[in-house]
Formats: sequence, structure tokens, C-alpha cells
Amino acid sequence: MANKSVWSDNRFWQRTAAWVTGFASILLIWLTFDTSAQISMGNDADLKNGVTKRVPGPTVINYKISYEMSTKRGHEVPYIGGNDGKGGSLFKEKEKFFGRDDYSEKEAADLLHLGKLGSQAKNCMDCHTLMGNGAYYAPDLTKAWLDPAWGPEGSMQAVTGKSTKEEAMAEFLQHPNLYPTHARMMPNLGITAQEAKGLVAFLKHLSSIDTNGFPRNFGKMQGALNGK
Amino acid sequence: MIESMMRPEIALGDFLPIFISSAFVLVFGSLYVGVYTAVKVKMLKNWVMLFAYLFWFLTCYMLYIMGSLMHVGEFTVKVLVIAMIGYLMLPHAIYYIQHQVHEENEQ
Amino acid sequence: MANNYLKSESKQLATWYFTFAAIIFGAQLVFGLVAAIQFVMPSFLYQILDFSIARILHINALVVWMVFAMFGSVYWLLPDETEIETVGIKIGKLLFWVFAAAIVVVVLVFLFIQVGPADQTTIWFITEGREYIEAPRWADIGIVVVALGFVANLFLTGIKGKQTGIVTVLMADMIAFSGLYLAGMFFTDNISVDQYWWWWVIHLWVEATWEVFVGAIAAYGLIKMLGAHRQVVEMWLWIEVSMLFGSGILGMGHHYFWIGTPEYWWEIGALFSALEPLPLVAMFVHVLYDWGKTQGAQEAHHEKVSVIKNRPAFTWFVLNAFGNFLGAGVWGFFHTLPQINLYTHGTQFTAAHGHLAFFGAYATILIGMFYLAVQGKNGIKVMKSTKLSIWSTSMITGGVMGMTVALTIAGYVQVIVERAQMGATWSGYFDSQSGAWFTQAMDWRLLMGVITFLGFVLLATDLLRTGKSAIHER
Repeated sequence: MANKSVWSDNRFWQRTAAWVTGFASILLIWLTFDTSAQISMGNDADLKNGVTKRVPGPTVINYKISYEMSTKRGHEVPYIGGNDGKGGSLFKEKEKFFGRDDYSEKEAADLLHLGKLGSQAKNCMDCHTLMGNGAYYAPDLTKAWLDPAWGPEGSMQAVTGKSTKEEAMAEFLQHPNLYPTHARMMPNLGITAQEAKGLVAFLKHLSSIDTNGFPRNFGKMQGALNGK
Repeated sequence: MIESMMRPEIALGDFLPIFISSAFVLVFGSLYVGVYTAVKVKMLKNWVMLFAYLFWFLTCYMLYIMGSLMHVGEFTVKVLVIAMIGYLMLPHAIYYIQHQVHEENEQ
Repeated sequence: MANNYLKSESKQLATWYFTFAAIIFGAQLVFGLVAAIQFVMPSFLYQILDFSIARILHINALVVWMVFAMFGSVYWLLPDETEIETVGIKIGKLLFWVFAAAIVVVVLVFLFIQVGPADQTTIWFITEGREYIEAPRWADIGIVVVALGFVANLFLTGIKGKQTGIVTVLMADMIAFSGLYLAGMFFTDNISVDQYWWWWVIHLWVEATWEVFVGAIAAYGLIKMLGAHRQVVEMWLWIEVSMLFGSGILGMGHHYFWIGTPEYWWEIGALFSALEPLPLVAMFVHVLYDWGKTQGAQEAHHEKVSVIKNRPAFTWFVLNAFGNFLGAGVWGFFHTLPQINLYTHGTQFTAAHGHLAFFGAYATILIGMFYLAVQGKNGIKVMKSTKLSIWSTSMITGGVMGMTVALTIAGYVQVIVERAQMGATWSGYFDSQSGAWFTQAMDWRLLMGVITFLGFVLLATDLLRTGKSAIHER
């Protein structure tokens, strides 16, 4: 044991492990503070004052949402209430949601709360993915609100006999077993009309979250080849 | 740097070579350290060591393919070069340390 | 059951944990088969046991059997390492029954109640609906109590007895492992915040604390089975801890690319998760080194006999070193960089990685621990492989590899068709799912799943029988 070098000393490596772990943990905690501030949910005043939040307030359901390329960011971003032409949201154009575009902060928050609870109570994530996380048995729902299948050019409004996107989605959620879209059918999960409304609000809010361009090229390339 | 990370987009035909090359980065990388160690502990004959360094070279080549298909930025290229030089030295350092401990405890 | 050879109560408790773990392992495979059949035949058990429920049971059974086997492994090695009986073993035994009973209730609720109304009672009593940790809130609290009791057993024993490096690592690791579960126990309307903390549980378990646990168990196994040098093994364990936590903790960034979190996670996630395979390579090399050195020392004394004291367990430990690298390392590295992950995130690629990584990194070494327990329980000096153990090992490994390859092909189809060309819409998704390559991959996955399950049946038979076999040296 005479010529014991530092490198072969257990105590040295034990301390290294402690320091490395401590340093990485502190860095993670520090980043968590920064990220938490950036992903905290906005509010109605933010939307009215044109403040862009990564996760907008619940009253975002009063606005039109789109998902377009931002040259500034180098990928697609959600635009709320229109595109200001300079890579940001305009926060002007409204969109009716179940016939109204004047949901109060409380009403919208209650709907979102109901929808988020519903998304967990019905185990959505165990067939679908939300922001890419979940199971892979059914489509990703991150931008489901913007999916052309539910829009005027898609088939789902006609299939469910409804004239708006939100009503078609709510009808489907209540009776998915009546509207087969694929051999893999969504089961009837006993979703009530109110729960369905909450879930659609949850999906509309979800589509307004800034996901750094995921998913890529959403809905832009139907039938296109070679990724161009 | 952020802008360059997602642009230009990966071409459709490049996905497969990227997946394969990235898998081989690790496969060759582990073969390098694996063969190196096996020779050192005399599980393999000495001349096999030549293959260890060949595997290191292949690791670099695979990383080069992967990086260029993914259009990594200039800064990342420098990081990758340093990483590969570091990786070349890694098993030497590990073996040195382990051997040292072994010797000390055999006495 | 005659526990003739187990003098230690801690080791007896370990065998309970291992037995329950093996049963849940079987359940995991059964529900995995149901889910795999549904991919091929969607009408199978439709509105009776839907895919979502089969999958919840598949992945929760996975987590639960591994946690049980991990607790069991700690109770098994504690008397060997500390040289004393585990402190508070009576409470440990009581908590085992509490834990097992809670799991049975949760499974029955998942099976027969499945979903609830959109309110807090569902979250408290039926399901939390958050992947991997769906267990309702009451069970969460129960799990925390049980985990605290387990950690208390470990700490009191570690402090009272001989505190080896392995025990020290386990103490630090298990407290982090239990504490992290708390991050998954709250409800929020903000899904970005929800997923941010959800990953603290999932990622910091499987890519940090569980990996360190595996390092500690591998260290114990190498000393037990090969007579490897403790000084070398423990020093190496500390290096592994540094590498695993150094890369794994911030490697979390690769889950924060697309959930609403800022763009700086791209760089952090790319850098640290690219480093994550390094400790896995190191663990692999370490096994090779110890094996070569001990066998070499033996042969230097002109003894041609193998140094391995438990052949089936050692086989599983070697598969662990290799599988950890292949499943967590190669299949993870594949799609960890943000440029690629943008297209692969949330496709069957992830499923392929999940299958091989959980199997390679955790299932293998825990099955190895089962064999060590069978050896100890039956007082066997040198345990040999049986025909059954060789067949079961080959079938399980081959089956999981087969599933992984099939899922990788399916994932590739999804990336090209759904993500790169169609932009991840509803129709893009179903176009990718209907392609011939995708559907055939799913057929192969099912076939390989059946092989894995048959391998498991052989494994269970072998574990029950081999202890009485005459081929071992006693």
C-alpha cells in the first residue's frame, strides 16, 4: 500500500461521485426554476395585452388558433388570434367555441380543469400521445384541435352530423363506438356531454401551447412526397 | 445556434442512414473498448489490438456520416472531434486505474 | 417450503419479494400479449379489456415487479454486506403484505372499473391516468409509506452493521428513488407543468436511480459469483455512479424538447443524453475485466475450472451488461438528438427502445438475482445451467430482441410516412398504421411476444425445479 495513487483511491472516487451528483442536481434545480417560470400558465390579461406565453391562459379558447412556420424560430409555432406578420401572434381574431367567444376567465378555467381531469380519468394517454408522450395505439393529440379531419374540409363534421369542429369532436367523444374511422376504434368511455365539452376545451388549449415545432409539418403535406 | 439546429430539414432518404450510422457509432465504440480490455486482460491475443483501433476509426467515421447527414453546426463539429479524441484515450485511462488498484491490492 | 439453508430472516423476506415479483412478471407478459393481439386484431376484447387497460396493466406490472424484485435484492444482499440481520425485519415483513395487498386491489380496480367520471374521486380511487404511474392517489400514499419503511430498514441496518461501499451507494440511491415518487403525486391543469414533473419520476428512476441500483447489484453479483476483488469493484462502482448521475440527471433534457419547455433544453438534452451510453459501456467493460482477471488468476494456478459459482445467474448478469448497453445505449442514442427526435418522438421507435431497455437494463439482472436466491435457498455451492435455464434464457432474449427489431421497423415506417411526409395528422397516423411494413411488423411482434411468454413459462419452471436438481455441487 506504499505507492497508493489518487486515482486508485476509493475515497477520491466517492467524493467525485458526490460532487458530480450534487453539481448536476443543483444545475437541474436551477433550470427548473427558470423553466417553471416560462411554462407557468398565462391569464386573460396576457391575451388581451398581447403577451406571448408558452402556455397561454384558459381563455385562449375564445381565440382562433393556427400553427404556422415562424422564420424567426425556424419551426412552426402556434399563433393566437392571427399572425402579426413579424413572427408573433396578433391576439385579435376571435373564434366561437360552442357558439360563444366571451368565456370569462372563471368559465374557461373550469372547462379546462374539467377537461384535464377527464383526460386522466379516461386514461387518454394509454392509447393516445399528448405532446408525444403516452401510448402509440391512437393518433397524437397535441394539435388535434387543428387537425384537418375535423375542419370544414375534413370528413368528421359530416360523419357526426354537426356543423362545427367543437360539436363534432364532442359528439365523437361521447359515442366513439358509433363513428368508426379505422379498424382500431375508440371505445365508449362513458364521457358525458359536459365532460366532452371540457375535453374539447382541453384539446383546444393544448394546441395553443408552444411545443418548439412538434409535430413538424403538421397537416401541411397531405399526399406530398419526399418531405418537400 | 438554435436556428441552425432544426434547419435545414432532414431529407427523407437520409433517415435510414442516420439511424444505422448512429447505431454503429455505439456498436463500434463499444467494440473498441471491449476488444481493448479483452486483449489487456489476456482473453484475446495481442495482435487483435489492431482491430480495437480499427473499431475506433470506424466509430469516428460513423459519427462523421451521422453528423453530416444531420447538418450539425460548426461548433458541434468541434465538440465531436474533441469527444472522439477523448474516447480514444478513455479505455487506456480506465485500464490504467483498474490495473493500479489491482496491483496495490495483490501485494 | 423448507427454508433449511436460509438462516437470515432478511433473506427469507427477499424470497417472498422475488416470488411475488415473478408472478407479476408473468402478468405483465399476459397483458402485453393482449395489447399485441389488439394491434393485429383490433376487435379483440373491444370494450371489455381495451388496449388502454391492457397497456396500463402491462406497464404498471412491469414497474411493480421490478420494484418488488429490487426491494427483494436489497433484503437479500444486506445480511451478506453488513454481516448482521436486517434491523426491523418484522416491520419489513408486515409492509410486504401491505404492499402486495395494495397492488392486488389496484389491479382489480384497473381490470373491472377501468375509468371514472372527470373528478377528483377518480384520481383518488380509480386511476390517475398518468402513464406508468396510473395508480390512484390512495395507493400512492400507501406506496410512500411502504417505501419509507423499506428505506428505514436499509438505513438502520447500514448504520448498525458494516457499511460497505455497495451499501452506502444503495442507501443514497434508494432514498432518492423513493423521494422522487413524490414528484408524481399532484394534479395540475397545466399539462406542461404536469409532464415536467412527471418526467422527474420516470426519467430519474429509469435513467438515473435504477441504473445506479443496477451498478450496485452488479458489483455485489461480481463479488459473489466470481470472487472479484471488492476494492476494484467498489472503486468502479463509484466511477459508475459519477458517470450515471453526471450524464443521467441532466440527460432529462431529452424529455423536455417538445412539452412546452424552452428551447435551451435542446442543447442540454442533446449533450448529456449523448453521454448517457458511456457509463453503460463502462459497466460492460467492467464485467469483462473482472471476469478476465479472476479467471486468469485461477488459470495461473493451473486450475482449469471456471470461477463462476452460479452459471445461470452469471449468464443473466452478462446479458444485463450487454442488454443495458444495447437497449438503453444503442436504441436510446438512435433517437435522442433533437433533430431526429422531432420525427421519432411518440412513435413505435420509443416502444422498441422501451422494450429492449427495460429488459436489458433491469429484467436481466433481476432474473439473475432470482437465481442467486434459488442457489442460496437450496444451499448450492456451484450452480450449473440446466437445459431448461438455457432454453428459457435463449427464448426470452430472442423474443425480446425480435419484438424490438419488429417495433423498430414499425417505428421507421411511422417516421417516414406519418412524420416526415404527412405531418402527424389523424390521417397521416392511420396511413402509417395501415402500411404493409407496419402491419407485418406487428404480426412479428406478436409472434416474438408469444416466444417471450413461452420462455417465461420455462423460466418459472426452472426456478421452481432447479434447486432440487442433482447436477449442482453442494
